[in-house]
Amino acid sequence: MKDNTESKGMLENTNKGNENVLVEVRDLRKSFDNHEVLCGISTKITKGEVLAIIGPSGCGKSTFLRSINLLEEPTSGQIIFEGTDITQNGVDVNQIRQKIGMVFQQFNLFANKTVKENIMLAPVKLGRMTKQEAEKKAMELLERIGLPQKADAYPAMLSGGQKQRIAIARSLAMNPDVMLFDEPTSALDPEMVGEVLNLMRQLAAEGMTMIVVTHEMGFAREVANRVMFFHDGVIQEENKPEEFFGNPKNSRLKEFLAGVLA
Amino acid sequence: MKKQRLLLFMMLCFLLFGLCSCSKKSEGEKMRVEGIDDLPGTKIGVQIGTTGDTYAQDYEGDEEGTVLEKYNKGADAIQALKQDKIDCVIIDQEPAKAFVEKNKELMILSEEFVTENYAVCVAKENTELKEKINGALAQLEEDGTLDNIRKNYTGTDEEKGKFPYKKQDVKRSNGTIIMATNASFKPYEYYENNEIVGFDVDMMQAVCDRLGMKLKIQDMEFDAIISAVQSGKADVGAAGMTVNEDRLKSIGFTDSYTTSKQVIIVRNPEVTAQKLSLSENIKENFITDGRWKYLAKGLVNTLIITIFAIMIGIVFGFLIAIVRTSHDKNGNFRILNGLCKIYLTVIRGTPVMVQILIIYYVIFAAVDINKILVAILAFGLNSAAYVAEIVRSGIMAVDEGQFEAGRSLGLTYPMTMTNIILPQAVKNILPALGNEFINLLKETSISGYIGLADLTRGGVIIQSLTYEAFLPLIAVALIYLAIVMALTAGVNKLERSLRTNER
Repeated sequence: MKDNTESKGMLENTNKGNENVLVEVRDLRKSFDNHEVLCGISTKITKGEVLAIIGPSGCGKSTFLRSINLLEEPTSGQIIFEGTDITQNGVDVNQIRQKIGMVFQQFNLFANKTVKENIMLAPVKLGRMTKQEAEKKAMELLERIGLPQKADAYPAMLSGGQKQRIAIARSLAMNPDVMLFDEPTSALDPEMVGEVLNLMRQLAAEGMTMIVVTHEMGFAREVANRVMFFHDGVIQEENKPEEFFGNPKNSRLKEFLAGVLA
Repeated sequence: MKKQRLLLFMMLCFLLFGLCSCSKKSEGEKMRVEGIDDLPGTKIGVQIGTTGDTYAQDYEGDEEGTVLEKYNKGADAIQALKQDKIDCVIIDQEPAKAFVEKNKELMILSEEFVTENYAVCVAKENTELKEKINGALAQLEEDGTLDNIRKNYTGTDEEKGKFPYKKQDVKRSNGTIIMATNASFKPYEYYENNEIVGFDVDMMQAVCDRLGMKLKIQDMEFDAIISAVQSGKADVGAAGMTVNEDRLKSIGFTDSYTTSKQVIIVRNPEVTAQKLSLSENIKENFITDGRWKYLAKGLVNTLIITIFAIMIGIVFGFLIAIVRTSHDKNGNFRILNGLCKIYLTVIRGTPVMVQILIIYYVIFAAVDINKILVAILAFGLNSAAYVAEIVRSGIMAVDEGQFEAGRSLGLTYPMTMTNIILPQAVKNILPALGNEFINLLKETSISGYIGLADLTRGGVIIQSLTYEAFLPLIAVALIYLAIVMALTAGVNKLERSLRTNER
């Protein structure tokens, strides 16, 4: 479904050159009132990479994710997306956001629109596609996620898993260069987690660059190229999944893993 | 539908019950007034702002416990007298005759209270117009025109109606005189076939004919006439107005054009009220002289005011709400937001009644502006404040995630607002909006205070013609009820059609 160039081999891509860096974060800080939630985060995400971020609640991992498309405005630091520092004044944030898909924990499908309209809205309103093109695209995406029969349903009539798959399709309709997932399965009933994770697995296999905040350790271990552990607004440890889960070094990470894997 | 039928049924029961209870009124031991000497200790009714009011004030609060009841119209006082709420009414002789003629159970005491002169009031500084009118009055007195008008309205039974004044065919190039009056003061000014006629109207028409000017008549409350003339809303006041010292302080008067007497009306102990059957009553109140037209015209005005005020309310209300929420979310529009807050505070902090008076008498004091426009503006701007807060609460009630989802796709703030947030907000606030518009409709009933003939005033005019409160007011109430029910049904239908996206 991605028609641009970066759908090549992407499973081993942690040490790519600079030209492949899609997002670079430099010393990102964010405070709410006097409480600092992000205390200087720096990292690079390369094209095709799947980055999983784990950590206890309140550690700042969601704030970090939401900073990347500026839903949270950073207090200081830089975010360089495709060569542009998007934290600067004068940057067209809406233009940037069109290239950064986002999937929310609570799905956030537009309640007043049908499934098809949810998918078509942004491409049409932003002049990316005509109505006919958008409708065709929407139906393709719905076929792909196996929900074409729900095209004219309203979100309130769908299960959580269906909603989240449609939310992913809605993001894909914009052909984003990177997708942010903010705990995409945390609000789902257990039997629906699988369908959403499967779709994400497919996306990863097709070469989509993904940053996933998650509690699904299995998914992180199996799909991610790199796993990051957040605590107290700092990256405590990051590594390839085998090392990260097999041989954790940070004491807090050990504690955390012992807790969640027990 | 069942609910509506039940309501209608209840209204009918209420109506019948009211009719029964009206006719069963017991004759309580009331004070009998047979002369001026009997006045102390009684309940005296007067029309507010008249000279009868001024004279009767001398009795108020004396050791006998005299009570003064002031009514907006003479007809209201007469009605109160008929219902035993007061013991007598002090009022000008000619209207008194008209009242007694229509109400056989009342009579005028032969002892006259006071004799006085009627004159036209003119703004103090407008001496030019005053001199012109004085000149015309002198001519009319000389050639007998004024005498004929007097005979036609206040003469003996043989003379009455025999000397109608005919509007002359003259060139009217010298401008317009706007005459303020209170058309419930027969025979000086009253409604006949939906037109204001009477002694003062003929007299002023004769004056205008002499001066080569056009005459325009505005009906308003009696106690509003002087302020209307002062503020320039009207050029003259002609309403059977007596010259007295209090009035001379604030307004100028022309020479007197006729004399009148203040008399006392009491219940006639020999005659009991004749009762009309319900059908006769309905005929008298609505069919005779096409009186239903007062209601019909009033209804049209009420609907025009309500519909356009709702539109203003919606447009401005949404704009204000969007400015306010956008400020809260993004910090935009700092100055505009401040202005909106002041607007909301002022509009919601003062009665709409005062607002409409201010718009009419203060803001548009010097302009001859259509009253319906004033009412639309006043009620529209008032409603906008309430709509704004309703819409704002609706926007705030939409889940923040909806907003974030829109923005995360790259949609702009206005796109997110119009495509996602507002449609959901509107659905949530529809009941509250419907409520606001029902309130607005009912509030328009105060339009009568700027002399606008709305539905309520239509009923009141009929009441002043027939001395019957029950049927005209119940009719007015039923019409309001019907509109509100229609409005509610419309809102409910809209609500249902917007609810499709819920389970």
